[in-house]
Amino acid sequence: MSRIAIGLVAAALAAPASAASESFTIDPFHSHPHFVVNHLGFMDMTGRFDKMSGKITMDGAAKTGAIELVIETGSVTTGDSDKGTRPRSRDEHLRSPDFFNVAEFPRMTFKGTAAKWTGDFPSAIDGQLTLLGVTKPVTLTVEKWRCGPDPRTQGKRYMCGGNATGTIKRSDFGMKFGIPNVSDEIKLMIGLEAFRDQ
Amino acid sequence: MQEFWSHPAAQGGVVPFVAGLVVAIALGRFKLAGLAVAVGFCACAYLLNGLAFVPLTATRKIILATLAAAAVGVVVDGAARPARSAGIVLSLAFGVAALWVFWSVLSQRSLQEAIASGAVAAAAVGVTVWLSHRLADSPVRAGSAALGLGLGAGVAAILGASATYGLYGIAIGAGAGAFLLVQMLTNRRTAAGWALVLPAAAGAALFAAGAVLLAKLAWYALVPLALISLVVRLPAPERMPVWVQAIVLSAYALAAAAASWVLAWKLGVE
Repeated sequence: MSRIAIGLVAAALAAPASAASESFTIDPFHSHPHFVVNHLGFMDMTGRFDKMSGKITMDGAAKTGAIELVIETGSVTTGDSDKGTRPRSRDEHLRSPDFFNVAEFPRMTFKGTAAKWTGDFPSAIDGQLTLLGVTKPVTLTVEKWRCGPDPRTQGKRYMCGGNATGTIKRSDFGMKFGIPNVSDEIKLMIGLEAFRDQ
Repeated sequence: MQEFWSHPAAQGGVVPFVAGLVVAIALGRFKLAGLAVAVGFCACAYLLNGLAFVPLTATRKIILATLAAAAVGVVVDGAARPARSAGIVLSLAFGVAALWVFWSVLSQRSLQEAIASGAVAAAAVGVTVWLSHRLADSPVRAGSAALGLGLGAGVAAILGASATYGLYGIAIGAGAGAFLLVQMLTNRRTAAGWALVLPAAAGAALFAAGAVLLAKLAWYALVPLALISLVVRLPAPERMPVWVQAIVLSAYALAAAAASWVLAWKLGVE
């Protein structure tokens, strides 16, 4: 094979990831959904779920993409897990039937497709959130997104990551306890990183 | 006004009590005053759950089972001579119903855990119904037992991390309280029947078992609750006015309920 041909082949192999549909697996150690809820009209309280997994497929050239996230509801935390002398902590309360009812619904899922693109990357995701057995449409706005070689592996591993936000009403999913003292409107903030599948 | 309807005291206490009171007064002459418990519970369920039953969660199944208990109770009361085996049959039936109610939870556990948890739930409901059915012909004892069962299960559920289940239980107690109050004020016993004892026993036991399976209530706390209907059979001043009997018997019931609360609190903080 001539040197020119070899160069062309090498250039094709080194083409950007967006040349074809690629799949990515969520990095569970650097991916967490957070939520913000207002308490009694005073402070905004932040919580998060510690365990999330999922898959992303993306084709920047064709401007298509899909995401599927699975969140373990029992991993919810708001920083109050030590009940002390109380019969229960706030995090235990969140796991009860009053809120996430984790014994009956141990997982919530989000399945979406990239509805809008800015350049080679998605800017909005339209999807379906399933929480407490109820599925409702939710749109996430991608605030930032970047793909590139993982600097920790000298470029051997390719990754994407970013943040997305959205808003839901928990009563739409049947979670009505405490409204309006604990706000119905919940802000979602999802940060995730994902590695391209080999 | 919206603030009133969404306030827990209204949802679990005031509204169920008033609804129960209306029924106890209006239907007393038809020997259906016992429906005060079911109607009070219904009012609470409407405020907390609305009319949605999809998806059919464990909580919604408990609501349906409690309402079904009231309907069955009315049918049994209407029978010219209820079968002697009705008590054991209904106890077994509601014990099995507990497995149906909590199936979505049990099916996610290991076989060993599912069997243990299911047995606890079924036994708690079955035993409570069995011990309660004999009170159907004793209005004051039945009302006192229902008061203790409702408040007992409700407060225990709150201590077990579910305020919602607490409100449902308290609503059962509120309806029972309304039933008792009419008798206390008129100094006349009003028929309780299976229409009272069955939804009170089944509903309270199901919510208490739910607090064990879905929240953090320790299973030991179910034992004193199941014994409430036994405790109210202790001697009462039969020749005293109805209001005195109601107070004494309710005190028995609430003492047993308090034992459940102590267990729920102590085991909850350990």
